Amino acid sequence: MNLLEVKHISKIYGKGEASVHALKDVSFSVLKGEFVAIVGESGSGKSTLLNIIGALDNPTAGKVFIDEKDIFSMKEKKLTVFRRRNIGFIFQSFNLIPELTVEENIIFPVLLDYQKPDKKYLEELLTVLHLKDRRNHLPSQLSGGQQQRTAIGRALITRPSLILADEPTGNLDSQNTSEVIALLKEASRRYEQTILMITHSQTIAQTADRILNVSDGIVTDFGRCRQ
Amino acid sequence: MRSYLSLIPISDRKHKHSNIMTKLCIMFSVFMVTAVFSMAEMGARMELDRLAEKHGGFTIQYLLGTEMGQSFFLTAAILFILILVSGVLMISSNLHSSVSQRTKFFGMMRCIGMSKKQTIRYVRLEALNWCRTSVPIGIMLGVLAAWVLCLLLRFFAGEEFINIPLFKISLIGILSGAVMGILTVLIAASAPAKQAAKVPPVVASSGNAGNIQLVNHRLYNRFLKIPAILGISHAVSAKKNLFLITSSFALSIILFLNFSVLVDFVGYLMPQSASASDIDIYSTDSSNSIDYNLLQKISGMECVEHVYGRRVVFDIPAEISGESKYNANVDIISFDNYDLKCLQKDGMLQKGTDISKIYENTDCALATWDNSCNWKTGDIIKIKNGKLSIEGLLNRDPFSENGLANGKLTLITSDETFQKLTGISDYSLIMIQTKKNATEKNIEEIKQAVGGEYIFKDKRDQSTLGTYIAFLFCIYCFLGMVALVSVFHIINSISMSVTARKKQYGFMRAVGMDESQITKMIASEAFIYALTGCIVGCVIGLPLSRILYEILISNHFKYAIWNIPITQISIIILFVILSAAIAVYSAAKKLKKYSITDIINEV
Repeated sequence: MNLLEVKHISKIYGKGEASVHALKDVSFSVLKGEFVAIVGESGSGKSTLLNIIGALDNPTAGKVFIDEKDIFSMKEKKLTVFRRRNIGFIFQSFNLIPELTVEENIIFPVLLDYQKPDKKYLEELLTVLHLKDRRNHLPSQLSGGQQQRTAIGRALITRPSLILADEPTGNLDSQNTSEVIALLKEASRRYEQTILMITHSQTIAQTADRILNVSDGIVTDFGRCRQ
Repeated sequence: MRSYLSLIPISDRKHKHSNIMTKLCIMFSVFMVTAVFSMAEMGARMELDRLAEKHGGFTIQYLLGTEMGQSFFLTAAILFILILVSGVLMISSNLHSSVSQRTKFFGMMRCIGMSKKQTIRYVRLEALNWCRTSVPIGIMLGVLAAWVLCLLLRFFAGEEFINIPLFKISLIGILSGAVMGILTVLIAASAPAKQAAKVPPVVASSGNAGNIQLVNHRLYNRFLKIPAILGISHAVSAKKNLFLITSSFALSIILFLNFSVLVDFVGYLMPQSASASDIDIYSTDSSNSIDYNLLQKISGMECVEHVYGRRVVFDIPAEISGESKYNANVDIISFDNYDLKCLQKDGMLQKGTDISKIYENTDCALATWDNSCNWKTGDIIKIKNGKLSIEGLLNRDPFSENGLANGKLTLITSDETFQKLTGISDYSLIMIQTKKNATEKNIEEIKQAVGGEYIFKDKRDQSTLGTYIAFLFCIYCFLGMVALVSVFHIINSISMSVTARKKQYGFMRAVGMDESQITKMIASEAFIYALTGCIVGCVIGLPLSRILYEILISNHFKYAIWNIPITQISIIILFVILSAAIAVYSAAKKLKKYSITDIINEV
């Protein structure tokens, strides 16, 4: 069953002579629980694609369906709630709230939904993320790897069906990189979450279920790496 | 953490330092309103007591119906609105830059699921959270200030304040202070809250603030160098910021100019003349019948500081020749040297008048004047026994009730000139200024010396000096506060604008801009704020000050003419420039403290 369907997405920045075609008629679909790596050179349109899938940016043309729902037909308010509940984001620069502790950062999206965090699940996440003894630390007191694991925790806490990661290991050393990738894969397996991850590393891309290559705004499916 | 809103106090603790100016602004607004309304209520209570004492049984409703009561509360209400507007502008500009600085934060919040509504609520509550401490402190300071003012009025001002209540708490004052604080913050926060809600979530991933505009400036200019061009473009590119900073600068100038009118108003309401006398002795029939020797006798008395007499002749037929010749009846009054000096001290003379020509035996005189008079300096007045030339004009007629000459020419001459023209040496009026330590016994002695032949009038209790000083003190206090808050606000605005561009400055330094160039860049930005603020302030403030002058002063004192308040404008512009200079210096100094890499790597 497809969790994500991208249909004829185009994105043009600017107008007239100065216009840039960031994405050109992109279509593909992703299965539930699939772990997809998106590769491509800088400026090829990878981040634009991810931002559009995450409804952070609007396409010039085309549609995106998540769980069979046309996300761009939703009104702003509904879309925010949908994003909050169904999509988790992980950024290269972590983007944690510096004033909050690890635990508070993780549960923040739940609080935005006026819910009480599921304590058991939180404990589970903290254990999986190896952050139990760091739960009361501030981001500034953590290593890069720990910060990124916190950001992963924040992306997972709402149990979203889709996780979008924009070079989550870009700021990490090889040890932390493999830890983070392992975690994402574990999440994808354990909670049946679909993951789209931008990466520059061929090695990481090879560990994904499938690789999409973006070049000059055109997406080519490199197919499944492993079954 | 129970709710996403719990982030507010946590974040507040972190940004303690940068929020302090905003909190001070709130505190200031609350303080001013509490003090002003408390004083208005104390004034009203005093007036109520006085009326009750006189007539028995008065209610506050009655007082509100009286002119005095209405003016108390009308003044307070106008001040409330002025303070509200200035508070809103100041806090709004602070909040605006605080939101602009956190674009990425709000983008990230939106990204992880904060809705627009939640963002608006977040910013509003964040602002309201500042009220928690600022409002109570502002109220306490306001109540304290009202107590101190009441004490000062009661013990140092005139008789009329003897009944002002001491150490009373004004509910109206406290309530209006609290309302002011919350209202200011809510109004001020509404635009920045919407601005925060508008931050697109994509900001979090791209790191672009979204509102960065391409500014159409040429980096090469024949007159200006790059730092100046960049500084100016920083100031003008962020239109909203420019508008907010300019308006709050302008508002300070407007407030300053308009409160200066109040100083003039008090001056007209309670004119303080250097020649104001404590005791007057005048003849029963306005004739020059007071013995010349009486003045000599009184001047020898121990308790007398000054004694001076005036002689007068009314309706002398005269031929006036200036641009045209005409006949009219004129009055002539003699002033002795001390009296003439007081005219100059009181600023009664029009510009260009050389009073030294009037002294002693000359043919020169001063003339009363108003807008409708057709005589001028240099006109010759021929009377039966000689002629006088007008050497200078007064700016009004001090001898008429309303200050207008009403077409009647009154000439002021020296003693000697008067005696030469009229041959009269006795007085129609003798005025005495007593020494501070003069006792009732001393006054009685003067009375004895005068005898029953003339009218003796003891005017010591009519002095309004105490009240006058008390009013001026209050107005100057307010003006001082306006100036002080303006200085703080200007420094804060520029410092916040610099903080917002810290990263940009870091990059600029990384690519080779030196510290002095950075300082120049900040200075040009500040210069634009100060310049636009001064221009807008004067363009709006001057007509407003003129209107206020006409309503408060010209309508009641017909001879009063509004002049461009050059001194006040110079003072406030100097203040603005000085504050901007301090702001630039401190902001540049702060920037120098950070290393380039720290700035660039800061999240």
